[in-house]
Amino acid sequence: MSDFYEVTYVLSPVLEEDETKKLVETVNGWIEAEGGKIEEVHEWGLKKFATPMEGKTNGYYVNMYFSGPGAVLPALERQINIHDHILRHLALKYDAKMKRHRELIKKGDLPTILEVEETVSEEAQA
Amino acid sequence: MIKNPTHPKKNNLKTKECKFTAAGIEYIDYKQTDTLEKFINDQGKILPRRVTGNSAKHQRQLATAIKRARFIGLLPYVADNIR
Repeated sequence: MSDFYEVTYVLSPVLEEDETKKLVETVNGWIEAEGGKIEEVHEWGLKKFATPMEGKTNGYYVNMYFSGPGAVLPALERQINIHDHILRHLALKYDAKMKRHRELIKKGDLPTILEVEETVSEEAQA
Repeated sequence: MIKNPTHPKKNNLKTKECKFTAAGIEYIDYKQTDTLEKFINDQGKILPRRVTGNSAKHQRQLATAIKRARFIGLLPYVADNIR
């Protein structure tokens, strides 16, 4: 049985560009070592925090998707928790609803509430 | 509905519709911060259902999504202007 996961983690902004790249590859290595299969890695880059974390005001965001057996996530989280340069992480196990949501994103026809708001405001004017 | 014909709110009650239901959204993603920002006030608090008109199902999902976005630093716990 393999499950699908999404992990977003924040790297410390004090790292150099090549150190950041290396650390992202290290994290990917941790997943592959446990038998996980990486599907996508999106590097959002340096972003300002809405609230400061650990005395820092910005961080390097990485968002990734992977599938693997149940042992992947505890092993990954153990490594992430002891690493000094990973400030925070958010890991989600995908259920059927979230998988359908992801298929829609892949196809590019994700419904948004913005269209609804437009039709509502048009009705209000008419 | 209000039965009393002299009630001041009679025929004046607006029924609000859930925008997520109307758009056919099944899962609210914590990464879509532009959507989530519409449901927090300028202090950064989550707006109640009586204001937004969300369905209970979507309000629960929305609250989870906003809390996840706050944790990972995409949305503020308390807005800058009143901190």
